[in-house]
Amino acid sequence: MSLRDDFQPRWKLTLKWGWLSFAVFILMAPVFYTMYISFNELGFGAKYYIFTFQWYESVFSDKQLIGSLGWTMLLAIITLPIVIPFGLLSAKLYKQSQHKVGIVFVLLSPLFVPADILGSALLVFFKNLNKFFTLISEYTGIYALESWFDLGIMTAVIGLIVYTLPYVFVVIMITMARYKVEQTEAARDLGASAWRAFWEIEFPQIRAGVFSACAFVVILTFNEYTRTSLLKGGFDTFTSVLISQMLNTGMSEESYAMASIVSLVAIIIVSIILIVTAIKTEELEKITRVVKEPNK
Amino acid sequence: MAKTNAIEVKNLVKTYGNVYALKNVDLNIADGEYFVLLGPSGGGKTTLLRSIGGFIRPDSGSVNIKGQNVDDLPPDRRPTSMVFQGFALFPHMNVSQNIGYGLKLKSIDKNVIENKVNKMMDLVGLKGLSNRMPHELSGGQQQRVQLARALILENDVLLLDEPLSALDAQLRKDMCIELKRLQKTVGISFVHVTHNQEEAMSVADRIAIIADGEMVEQGTPKEIYSNPKNKFTAEFIGEKNIFEGRIKDFNKTKVVVDIDNDNIEIANNNYKVEKNQKVSLSIKSESIQIKKMSKTNSKVSNNQIVGKISEITFLGQFVRYLVVLNNNQEIQVRSYEEIVNLKVHDTVSLSWKLEDFLLHQN
Repeated sequence: MSLRDDFQPRWKLTLKWGWLSFAVFILMAPVFYTMYISFNELGFGAKYYIFTFQWYESVFSDKQLIGSLGWTMLLAIITLPIVIPFGLLSAKLYKQSQHKVGIVFVLLSPLFVPADILGSALLVFFKNLNKFFTLISEYTGIYALESWFDLGIMTAVIGLIVYTLPYVFVVIMITMARYKVEQTEAARDLGASAWRAFWEIEFPQIRAGVFSACAFVVILTFNEYTRTSLLKGGFDTFTSVLISQMLNTGMSEESYAMASIVSLVAIIIVSIILIVTAIKTEELEKITRVVKEPNK
Repeated sequence: MAKTNAIEVKNLVKTYGNVYALKNVDLNIADGEYFVLLGPSGGGKTTLLRSIGGFIRPDSGSVNIKGQNVDDLPPDRRPTSMVFQGFALFPHMNVSQNIGYGLKLKSIDKNVIENKVNKMMDLVGLKGLSNRMPHELSGGQQQRVQLARALILENDVLLLDEPLSALDAQLRKDMCIELKRLQKTVGISFVHVTHNQEEAMSVADRIAIIADGEMVEQGTPKEIYSNPKNKFTAEFIGEKNIFEGRIKDFNKTKVVVDIDNDNIEIANNNYKVEKNQKVSLSIKSESIQIKKMSKTNSKVSNNQIVGKISEITFLGQFVRYLVVLNNNQEIQVRSYEEIVNLKVHDTVSLSWKLEDFLLHQN
């Protein structure tokens, strides 16, 4: 999409870009301000600014914070290989199905339920499920079943899957919309199995979307507080620790440093995705143009 | 020696909800034959082609290829290759990778693949383009890549789904010649789907007309064009001169048909008709003689109709006259030479040879 209109006065275009830049500035300013404070030895609100890395050093020596980072990464790593294939299959189902509205409704419905309600609902559900399995284990004598739905990594991962699946579905679905199913048919016709047709023909063309979805899952896992806190137990994931530190001691300089690290990583990931997607989009548009106007 | 059948389709039925895409279609295609499925859009020809290729599972009926029943085989296990309407080249692979992909799937040695790809590129006229990406090719070149990719597997049958529809008129004509040449060179059966009559006529050994999921008529291009047995065929191949009427009289040599009180006499080509039976007549526009009527030659015989010229159009190779009859029906007359004294609004007589009219049972 272009903001340019050949017949509009130049000042209108400048105004549009100015407005966009202002909006981005407002959105991003707090993040950059956090980064700015994180390098000040004297901390937030000080009259003077002395550049330092000491808060970053403290972050890496704060075992609780680093531990929480580890827990969150672990949750993301376990969630990824489950939710990405789910999202991929859902997007494929959506593309092939004639009941597209129904599929979108089912897959996006978790987004319409407030986080604390969905989190508590899952909590109650798992508690009851746990009772059920405990009962079964007592009757069957298979005591391994007893703690299946104890709050922990598995329940937190299920909560994260419910939370991230709609995003994964939407991101992959958008990339997949450009893919022509005829190419899979052509590959099958040439002798490819369904898997090879997917892996060698379809996947290279939707790769950008899948990687974007992976990045989204990681970012959303870091961002998530309510569901993870309720469903994992222990309040030891990254956001829980960060927020509890803030509530107990106020925003420390260490917290600024940690927030800066996470924001920077997220910005880098998202920028890479955007750049790669833009390049891919340009390539695909070029291809589409040639296919639409084939007689050069 | 009679040719064996490459494809045998028996009683094929395919429905989508309450709509019949194919209704008990039977079809035999000989070995080495260039067969065209011709018909209007939505008539079922692509469904039939995709059923042969294994992309659609029919509700009932069977498909045999080279004597083998393939009803339960997916596309990758059928001895067919398909050329798709929208090119369907793999955009992340270059020309030679696209062409060699089918051989790579068969785990054939790289050098063998390279040799075969080069030979195939020579055959379809793509020499020197092996490293080009699909988006760097013209429409005609992309279609050649598709052909090469399909032919390299040396399957028994090549299926072509509207392969020329995305090309401009001149390129389409050139590609028709190219396709016919290729088919003769490789010697396998080609099954080509199109809604373009001219394209069908220029490549086919035989044509099947398909409409509303039914096989309307089959024959050589000459039979289909010159002697269509079915009214739909006559209309579809571009003949707009169709008359509806009732049998007034007939004997062994002639049939007289009453069309809005005008009698049209035609040769009786062993038609099985009864008096008062509803029938349709068709005549090619180039078979009608057009003549200006003067006050002195106003007498009209049984193989003559009178009308007024409503339009004269010069179309390069011929001149088309549109003539409106007394019953307001419009008739097209095609003349390869412009008749000097004819003008719009002139009253003209249209005449024909008895054998030029064809009778179709309704």
